[in-house]
Amino acid sequence: MPDITPDTLNLTPDVLIIGGGPAGMSVAIECARAGLVVTLVEQRPRLGGAIFRQPVNGVAPLALAAGPERLKARLFKDFAAQVARIHCVYGALFAGLDADGLAIVEDRQTSRVLPFRPRALVLATGAVEAVLPRPGWTLPGVTTAGGLQVLMKETGRAPQGRVVLAGSGPLLLALAAQLIRLGRPPLAVLEAGDPIRRPGASLALLAHPSLVSEAASYLATIALARVPWHRGAQFERIDPCDQALIVTWRDHKGHLASLAADHVSLHDGLAPNNFGLPAEARGGVKSSAGNPLVIRVGDCREALGAAAAVAGGEATGRNLAAHLLTGGEVIAAEATLARHRSAQHHIARAFAPRRGQELATQLPDDTVICRCEGRTLADLKKLVAESPGLSARELKLNGRFAMGACQGRFCASNAARLLGELSHSADQVPVSALTGQRWPLRPVSIAALAAAVADAPQPGSSTKDDKDIR
Amino acid sequence: MTPATFRWMSQDVPFRPGETIAAALSAAGVVSYGRDQAGAPSRYFCGVGACQCCLVNVDGRPIEACLTLARPGLSVTPLELDHA
Ligand SMILES: Cc1cc2nc3c(=O)[nH]c(=O)nc-3n(C[C@H](O)[C@H](O)[C@H](O)COP(=O)(O)OP(=O)(O)OC[C@H]3O[C@@H](n4cnc5c(N)ncnc54)[C@H](O)[C@@H]3O)c2cc1C
Ligand code: FES
Repeated sequence: MPDITPDTLNLTPDVLIIGGGPAGMSVAIECARAGLVVTLVEQRPRLGGAIFRQPVNGVAPLALAAGPERLKARLFKDFAAQVARIHCVYGALFAGLDADGLAIVEDRQTSRVLPFRPRALVLATGAVEAVLPRPGWTLPGVTTAGGLQVLMKETGRAPQGRVVLAGSGPLLLALAAQLIRLGRPPLAVLEAGDPIRRPGASLALLAHPSLVSEAASYLATIALARVPWHRGAQFERIDPCDQALIVTWRDHKGHLASLAADHVSLHDGLAPNNFGLPAEARGGVKSSAGNPLVIRVGDCREALGAAAAVAGGEATGRNLAAHLLTGGEVIAAEATLARHRSAQHHIARAFAPRRGQELATQLPDDTVICRCEGRTLADLKKLVAESPGLSARELKLNGRFAMGACQGRFCASNAARLLGELSHSADQVPVSALTGQRWPLRPVSIAALAAAVADAPQPGSSTKDDKDIR
Repeated sequence: MTPATFRWMSQDVPFRPGETIAAALSAAGVVSYGRDQAGAPSRYFCGVGACQCCLVNVDGRPIEACLTLARPGLSVTPLELDHA
């Protein structure tokens, strides 16, 4: 992929895309095809996103199931055909949209801040994994399932030592199959749900044959390697013991069981990675003068998986190109997504936890809820007892929940859920009340920021203007 | 050819070109990254730059080990030493 240096970087592209996963790549392909000036910013050194992450040079990519493999081949072929017209900036992070409508990108390779003023800003930042709090989830050696998968995809290596996978959902099965293929089968997969005992939901999935064949291929690999898939397992805790991690759970009959492992990978589903992102302005909504049109695509809009990210990205990309070239409304690719939404709904039903959902009564008081600020369930209970009717905002500002470095990406939904349980409120506490819009998304050097904004393109400058960085 | 290395504590950690600091530390069997300023154990967790649990000092600046490419001769240190 041709690298572009800041000397040739156009700060006023038609379309600035944040995220080089399937959604961002699809938008880039469609907009480039339509002849627009497209820049794509990706924080990692390579394209592909969460699912199609590329290995380092000299390492063979991990095999995917047949469906995703076909999707990947098509996506990369289409991208290659347009690559001369898409400026890719790797190793650069989007930090936010500032008050003047500049899209601030921090180029970590050159330690420069790039103030973009695109006509449209497309956010394709993907998903984050949901991880429920459990005693020991913050220990070294405990990762998310996707985190372990990232390492394996990039390096072609499985971690040294014994691995246990726990939580819920099909990603655990995909990861187990990948570990097996790398010659390091996990000791066990602990699944809170029991898809086999939810035949209704599992049968409904037959309407989605590609998902069924993908799941079947993982299950066959797991069965052949004799890796136990403990369904209906209630995961209790992780305790450190002599360099090892002791994983304890209750089996479907309620009996306690445990295993010693070196690595534990947790996963309880996916949620949009929309923390701190600027709000969308599309359709009839006019962006304010000088501000770009803001559009979200893929998992950061709605976590529906890779096929939906591509379908939604393509539809949105075509739509956006038509809007920028000839005017007209930018409409969401709703129709394309309905089918994927129904598939995700059935998957969620099939994997619904077998046991009681109430977290607050299951967890010991010293369980860490918010890691960055070291806040525990006991802290939360105390706050609720002292001020009944505590709002999510107060929980954040007074209790310092979701105030830390991760900006609530891993604790806000858990804290909101626990607050709802503890205050016996029938209404769900909105997670957004705990996260809100924060600027910047990631810490940026203030000096570099000030310098960059001083030289930034003014509103109204177009791609034809001589506003490139020198 | 001997592989390129960076420095972690008193250890030379080898890496392949294009690998992140986190990937190289994992291959070297390093699981704990010391502690952060709040005292919580630092370590690789999400792998996608979201959790900020993997922050380490690179050339004196806190940065995500999971996003930052390893470079020869880099000095990588924990935010705080783990005295526990
Ligand atoms: C860790 C993880 C593993 C997954 N594994 C699978 C799997 O094996 N199979 C499967 O079907 N689905 C998997 N998923 C679901 C996956 O999200 C979707 O299938 C699909 O990848 C979504 O595509 P996307 O383009 O919307 O997002 P992604 O593929 O996640 O792409 C988003 C891109 O944006 C970049 N980015 C994020 N924030 C910034 C920023 N601030 N600045 C610059 N760049 C940024 C990221 O580095 C990433 O490359 C996984 C999800 C996660 C989080
Ligand atoms: S491991 Fe989560 S930010 Fe690096």
